[in-house]
Order: sequence, then structure tokens, then C-alpha cells
Amino acid sequence: MSTTTAPEFLIETRGTTREFGAYVVGIAHCRATGTPGFGLGDGTLRIGLDGAPSQVHRGAVLAIAADCRAGFLTGGDDGKLATTTDATTILGDYGNRWVEHVAAHPAGVRAAACGKMLHVLDGAGTPRKSLAHPSTVSGVDIDAKGKRLVASHYNGASMWFFAAKEDKPRVLEWKGSHGMVLFHPDGDHVVSAMQENTLHGWRLSDGQHMRMSGYPAKTKSMAFTAKGRWLATAGAESVVLLPFFGGGPMGKPPQELAGGDAVICTQIATHPDHEVVAAGFADGLVLVAEIASGKVLPIAPPGRGGISALAWHPKGHALAFGTEAGHAAVVDFSGR
Amino acid sequence: MSDDQIPVTVLTGYLGAGKTTLLNRILSENHGRKFAVVINEFGELGVDNDLVVDADEEVFEMNNGCICCTVRGDLIRIIGGLMKRKGRFDGIIVETTGLADPAPVAQTFFADDEVKRAAKLDSVVTVVDAKNLPARLADTREAEEQIAFADLIILNKMDLVDEQGAREIEGRIRAINPWAQLIRSTKSDVPIASVLGREAFNLEKIVERVPDFLSGEDNHTHDTQILSCSFQAASPLDPERFNAWISQVLAVKGQDLLRTKGILAYANDDRVFAFQAVHMLADGDFIRPWKAGEERLSRIVFIGRDLNRPWLRRGFEACQADAPKTNYEAELARWGAPA
Ligand SMILES: [Zn+2]
Repeated sequence: MSTTTAPEFLIETRGTTREFGAYVVGIAHCRATGTPGFGLGDGTLRIGLDGAPSQVHRGAVLAIAADCRAGFLTGGDDGKLATTTDATTILGDYGNRWVEHVAAHPAGVRAAACGKMLHVLDGAGTPRKSLAHPSTVSGVDIDAKGKRLVASHYNGASMWFFAAKEDKPRVLEWKGSHGMVLFHPDGDHVVSAMQENTLHGWRLSDGQHMRMSGYPAKTKSMAFTAKGRWLATAGAESVVLLPFFGGGPMGKPPQELAGGDAVICTQIATHPDHEVVAAGFADGLVLVAEIASGKVLPIAPPGRGGISALAWHPKGHALAFGTEAGHAAVVDFSGR
Repeated sequence: MSDDQIPVTVLTGYLGAGKTTLLNRILSENHGRKFAVVINEFGELGVDNDLVVDADEEVFEMNNGCICCTVRGDLIRIIGGLMKRKGRFDGIIVETTGLADPAPVAQTFFADDEVKRAAKLDSVVTVVDAKNLPARLADTREAEEQIAFADLIILNKMDLVDEQGAREIEGRIRAINPWAQLIRSTKSDVPIASVLGREAFNLEKIVERVPDFLSGEDNHTHDTQILSCSFQAASPLDPERFNAWISQVLAVKGQDLLRTKGILAYANDDRVFAFQAVHMLADGDFIRPWKAGEERLSRIVFIGRDLNRPWLRRGFEACQADAPKTNYEAELARWGAPA
């Protein structure tokens, strides 16, 4: 009776694929329209899979985020910070340094990391602060309320208040080179991914540290699930989930999902409402997994380049992804 | 994998030696190739190139507690960023400041997995000023390190010295680094083809560039701290002995060993083994079969500070499979604790 069949990938029935011809650096969804924006390695932004390429940066787009109200905030290796809806407006021109990280919050906060500086602008585009760090800023995040910013760097991370009259950071120290940094939705934890294939976390209320090691590769993508119970992380041959409940993550074993193929997970995106994680792998495989059941839904087969960008539609009914080789796709889970 | 990696050339040299002249020539000459250039913040380029990246030379420790295990954190980020524009350039040139230690740059290509996947170190090219080199060697440590690290040394401003002076300078350079190729020039006017595409860190190329004077002489002059020691062994080595010994030598003496290169003949193996290390970060592999009639000599060069030449020689010789085991054990035990 039972026969083994190749898994059916949802992209075949519910996906739309496009060939962009340039590294897909990042994907964000417009807060007003829900349209995905694809930031590419040739400096263009595509709004929607069929959007005309718009040359927002001279070299490459290095970072993209959904801007405060609508459109896309991008940073490029031309040293510029731009926002694009129908047209592109340059919000900042920082000279020869790359703008490597951007973040935006609906409360009207924008941040752009450029060298050792974190430039903070408001929703109107007015520069509010230029915050200096001891070394190059290597990751940026804004907390859920839009009140605090965190910037990672060598030997730790610095936390700043947007509304502070006097800018003095709370320095979260930990020796070594920190990359991507994230606030927990509860605002009490900050987690960073380190050069030595480890994660480091700080609990702000009591200054406690958390360490998570044993990743075979650097974690370049991670996200908290909707209510913050889990931190889903890339950098292993499976999706590694760290529990932020029941006394965790300290002393609690992580959970692993969708492992087994000896291929590194490169991208993670958590569903906006449910405890569901999308994961992209170095061989191009994309899947969606439900944490509670461990059930895996195959989305796209390997073969079109390592997954370099992955994002859920803010309503959770569609998933957009892109690859290093310049392919992009949207898979729609809602009925047609 | 290797065809996919972007070659990276590291350009070092003291301020005023002619490094920027060389860089401008590489960028302006019509050779049909496009380069991304990583310069330090004080650098100045006379060429318009949208692939010029300003870097801060951020040297980071690798978190293993060792002071020589350092990488260039900015370079890890920059190479990651440049990969997003892959296909739009053919190579990367990293210019360092005159005061830079080349080790962290080189080690970045051994230590970071993503950098290793994306890029490969092609060579370290050092430009020195024939007239001022003696003064530089006398008053700084970096000038010496840059020579010790080099795969190619461009002896520039030759119009300012006579033949006798040039030979003296070359002798000084050779004492520090017998392995590098030396090219004389006046205004950094060397053929670009001799600077790029050298594959100096390709294990397969090490064997092609063995210096002819691996005589076992102690290349030591009294006014330099860094010296080189070269040895050869006529009988095939025992791979287990060599591995254990070299690992111990690098662990104990790695901070002082700038570069190590070797070509080894293993007992009962018909393949050439090539070995290289930058401080304690090592890399080795079989590269090809020994050719018919080729002399199966094992050769090794150490370039570093305060090297105990007799210890290194006796240790290397004791790795020969036919050397007495007790000798070998004694030589290994020497390196049991920091010297
Ligand atoms: Zn070390």
C-alpha cells in the first residue's frame, strides 16, 4: 500500500516565482498595503514580484525594513538611507561608509547604522540623534514600544532611549564580536548572535547573562515567535528554538525542528500570529513548521540558490522569499 | 568551490613606500578586470571606482584567549557585503595602513567560514622603499612584519640607491623572508600580472616557489628580530609524528611564528603533502602525486621571532619515520610547555 513519494512543495500549486538576477538581500512588507518589497544586490528595490525595478542605491541595497507608516526604508553601500513608496526620498547621506543596518517603528522612529554611528531619525525624516559606538555597529533593533534602540558592536551592545534628552547608553557588555541583535517582545531580554557561532543574551531587569553555543555556523537570522515564547534561530542543520518561558532559556534544553538534511538553516521568519516558523536553507529549501506538533510543510525544493531573505506577510497568509542567486517567490496559503 | 571564490590581494607597506602608486596603477591600467578596493580611512585614491570601501582596520580577538589569534572584523563584514554584488567584480584588493600587522588580515581568511567560502587570499604584497628600509627596520616592528609576511616584495625607489646598496637591502630582506619573490622597481612600475593572481596561499603552488637556498643556514642578522629557519629531511616523514610535533610547536610558539610553509614526503605515501600556517592557524593537504624521478625531500621554512633553530631542526629531523623513536619523543617533549 504505502509508497514513498517525493514531498509535494506548495510553491508548485500556490507560488509565484520571478528571476531578479541579483542577490536578494532582504524582504519587508509595506505596513500600509502589505505588498512585499525586495531589496537587491544591484541597488534596486522591487515593490511586489512584478514591480518595476527602482534604483534606490548606487551599488547594493544592504538593508531593508518596512518604514514607519508605509513604504520601505533601505540602506546602501552608497552611504545613503532612503525611503521608497511610489518615489524615493533620500533621508540621509553619510558619505563613504556603508549603511549596513536599518530599522523602523510605527511610532515614528527610524535608525540607520553606518560605521560606528547609529543615526536616528523621526517619522518626518528629521535627524534626531547621531549616536557613537566604540566600534562598527553590526546590528540594530527597536523595542516593541518604539522607545528604545539597541546597537551591537565589538564587546557588547549599547541600548539608547529615543526620547532621552541626554544620550548615554546602557552598555551590555560581553567580550567578543556581536552581530545581529534583537529585543524580546517583552522588552526585558536582548539577544545577539556572535562571531564564534554562539548566541548571547542579557536579561535587563537583573543583568543576568544567557549563552547558547554549539551552532555549526554563524546565526545570521533569528526571530521571536508572536508572543515571545520561543526564539527561533538559524545557523544549525535544523531550526533551533530556545524557550523563553517556564524559567527558560537558561537551563532549558532547546527544541529542534525540521532537521536531518545536513544543510545549514540560513533564514528564519516567525508567523505574526501563531507558533509557526518558516525556515530557509543554504541549498534553497524552504519549509514551514508548527512548533507544537513538529509538523513540517514543504514550501520550495532546493536548487535555486541559498535562501537569503524570508518574510511573512503581516497578516500571515503569505510567505515571500529570495535567494543568493537572485530568485524570488511568494507563496499564498489562502484559498484562491 | 575554489573557482567560485573571489581572489583577495593584500597590499602592505610603509607610508611613502609607493603602495598607493601601485594601487592606482592596478586600478587605472586597462587589463579588463574590475576590482573592489578596501582602503583605510586615511587612504586616498586618484581613481573613481564605485567599489571603493572605507575600512577601519578593526582587529578583533578570536575569543580563544590567545593574543595572536586575531581577525579583521571589518573585513568579515565587508566581504559579506561585497558578496551581494557578486559577479560585478573580479577581485578584491585590501590596502592596509603603514602601521598594520598583516597577520589579522591573513588570519581572517583562515578563521571565518563565510569568508573562506566566499573569498580566498591570493597573496600578501609588500612595497618597500629601497632607500629608507634600513631606517624603518631599525625603528619599527611593523616594517619587519610586513616583509616577513610577504609573498611578493616590491623593492621600490631603486633610482635612489646604487647596486651595492640594493644588494645589501636584498640581503636584509632575504634574511627575514627567503620565500618571497623580490622585484625591483622605481615608481612601482612592476607588471600587474606579477602582482595579481599569484595564488600564494594555494597549497598546490607552495611547491613551485621553494627557494633554492634552503640550505639550513641560520638567516640571522643582528639588527632584525625576525628571522627565518629552513630545514630539509631526506627520509620520508611519519605523518603522525609530524602532525603531533607541528601542532605542539604552533601551540607553544605560534605567537612568534609569523608564517610557516612546508612540502612533505610521507612514508608509504605517493603524494606530496603541503602545509602552511599563519601564527597558529594551519592548513594542509595532499596536493599531487610525486613525479617519477622527483627527489622526495621534505622541506619546511619557519619565519618568526626568537626561533630556537637547533630545536626546530632536530624536531623536524626526528619526524622522519626512520629516526629513533626515543629521539622523537624527546623532541616532542621539549615543546610540552611554553619555551
Ligand atoms: Zn594565537
